[in-house]
Amino acid sequence: MEASNLTDHISRRFNKDIEELRNSVLAMGGLVEAQLSRAIAAIVSGDSELGLKVANDDYKVNKLEVTIDEECSRILATRSPAASDLRLIVAIIKTITDLERIGDEAEKIGFLASQLAAMDRPSDSYRELKYLGNHVAEMLRAAMNAFARLDVNAAVDVVREDDRVDEEYDAITRQCITFMMEDPRSIRRFMNVTWAARSLERIGDHAKNICEYVIYMVQGRDVRHTETLEQTDLSAD
Amino acid sequence: MPETWRKFLLGILLFLAAGGGIGWLYGRPEIGLLVAALAALTWQVYRLLAFDRALRTHDFGAFRHGEGIWQQIFSRFVFTDERAQRHKRRYTQLLREIRNSTNAMPDGAIVIDDNNEIIMCNRAAKSLAGLRPKKDRGQRVDNILRNPDLTKLIESGDSDKSIEIASPVRVGDWLNCRVVPYGADQKMLLMRDVTERLRLNKMRRDFVANASHELRSPLTVISGYLDSLAHEEGLAEWQGPITQMQSQAQRMNQIIAELMQLSRLESAGRANLNERVDVAGLIASTRKAFAGMDGVPEIRVEADPKLRLLGNGSQIESIVTNLVSNAVRHTPADGRIKIRWARSGKGSSLSVEDTGEGIAEEHIPRLTERFFRVDRGRSRDDGGAGLGLAIVKHILSRHDATMTIDSVVGEGSAFRCDFPKSRTVMEKTSSKSAQSMRA
Repeated sequence: MEASNLTDHISRRFNKDIEELRNSVLAMGGLVEAQLSRAIAAIVSGDSELGLKVANDDYKVNKLEVTIDEECSRILATRSPAASDLRLIVAIIKTITDLERIGDEAEKIGFLASQLAAMDRPSDSYRELKYLGNHVAEMLRAAMNAFARLDVNAAVDVVREDDRVDEEYDAITRQCITFMMEDPRSIRRFMNVTWAARSLERIGDHAKNICEYVIYMVQGRDVRHTETLEQTDLSAD
Repeated sequence: MPETWRKFLLGILLFLAAGGGIGWLYGRPEIGLLVAALAALTWQVYRLLAFDRALRTHDFGAFRHGEGIWQQIFSRFVFTDERAQRHKRRYTQLLREIRNSTNAMPDGAIVIDDNNEIIMCNRAAKSLAGLRPKKDRGQRVDNILRNPDLTKLIESGDSDKSIEIASPVRVGDWLNCRVVPYGADQKMLLMRDVTERLRLNKMRRDFVANASHELRSPLTVISGYLDSLAHEEGLAEWQGPITQMQSQAQRMNQIIAELMQLSRLESAGRANLNERVDVAGLIASTRKAFAGMDGVPEIRVEADPKLRLLGNGSQIESIVTNLVSNAVRHTPADGRIKIRWARSGKGSSLSVEDTGEGIAEEHIPRLTERFFRVDRGRSRDDGGAGLGLAIVKHILSRHDATMTIDSVVGEGSAFRCDFPKSRTVMEKTSSKSAQSMRA
């Protein structure tokens, strides 16, 4: 009686630890999502103050990463998790690294927004960047949702979506090159636009990585660097 | 003993007695009794098995009519069974109606438990926030809607507060979210689509800002020419109209300036609201500015010089000047105005009292509306634009403060602004400054 109570207690504590860990990863994801959407808003509306605020707030993301990382090490050391618990911890350790990088890219975009705000603004308020940004933000949101719901199908959709982001990025780069050739005085501005697009494209890659960790976490299979997801059998077994 | 039992037992006894009687006729009563008992047992076992089959197959044909004990049991059973079925049907229908009505609501509603896990949500929650009514049951709502502000709101559980968040599914849409207590240990998260309202508000703000900006430049030209005309030698007979035009142009200028200040207050959310404002100093300079004018009543000041307010300096200054200029305008020259700045029970308070004409009770709630005037006919020429108190109200709500107005017609009015404790600080460097003054 005593002994069974004890094990029950321990495993419940363990469950609670894992649950809290998951919650804080998702909270970190929420913060990063907010940072990204504010960074995009700063570019589109030419709000330099908002851009700088995004850049200054990145420390919050970094702090969360460190805390979650420590918690993961603690659980690994004290609980020696196995099987799906172990996969969850490994996936979390990787996910927070990608989230932190997304935070860094958002910081960069915020900084670029504050610089772009001081320059001439095109009549379309950087519509392409807005589209690319919304697209990437949607990808990140879907990735975090897949993480929360352990939804492999949604994760696969996000991974496939990344190709379209790459295409949009190519289009923006080509467009910027054209503008720069037409008017060399605009090179400085369009360099910044290119950098911002580059950052957004990188965020898409990180979102894709997170989804690959989700697939790993749920099915225990590593789908990184496999050429076509279509060829791999995704039916859960 | 119930009637059916008596009949049943009596029937068995009679049957056994008949069996015993026939046996007795043949000289072996025990054999007759035994045969009768066996026959009765066989019959009852047969009925029992038939009843069991009827229960399993729901074919009660053999038990529907008659008055034996089995029919009785049957009718009683069917009665309770049918009642249970009827209840079940009613509850299912009730449940379906409730679900239909929650699904028909245009607002998203999500019921969560004390652990923030989703118990139930309606269809609007799906279309507005991307929740999945069936699959997301048991998920923490702040894991799916990861907006940091929303998480904070849910944690606080403050049912009076509401926030606006961007819809996660519909790009560009805004949701107004509230959390209300619901049942035992449960909360309901309500979200309403306010995109249209915010858009209209923004349009109104933009219109006011643009219109006042556009009105300003022609007005500058007009008052410029009026100024030079006023000094023209050959226009002596036009002097009266020109002076009047000048004063009206100046009034219009003031209205536009106040409109612009109001629209700035409404749109810019990022003014520094944490400066340490020396309110006593602001009061002193305002008093000095008014004291030099004609027909200004006596102004008494009672201000705590060490008391500081955390807020925006220029906005607080605008509160002081607006309140004092109102008091000056509505108080005759032999009246008195008293300005107080002191600590109060809940923080600090700034009050301006006058012995002017006072305000009728029915007008007090509307005083802070834009362009509201107590006396439409009279107060055109006293210089007020009708926006002062609207501005004051706006600034106060920015500073988490409230305003109370007490007034008696013919005796005077008192405007009191109460600032919360979190915005009140005492200056600690007073001893140092005293030392430096001594040195």
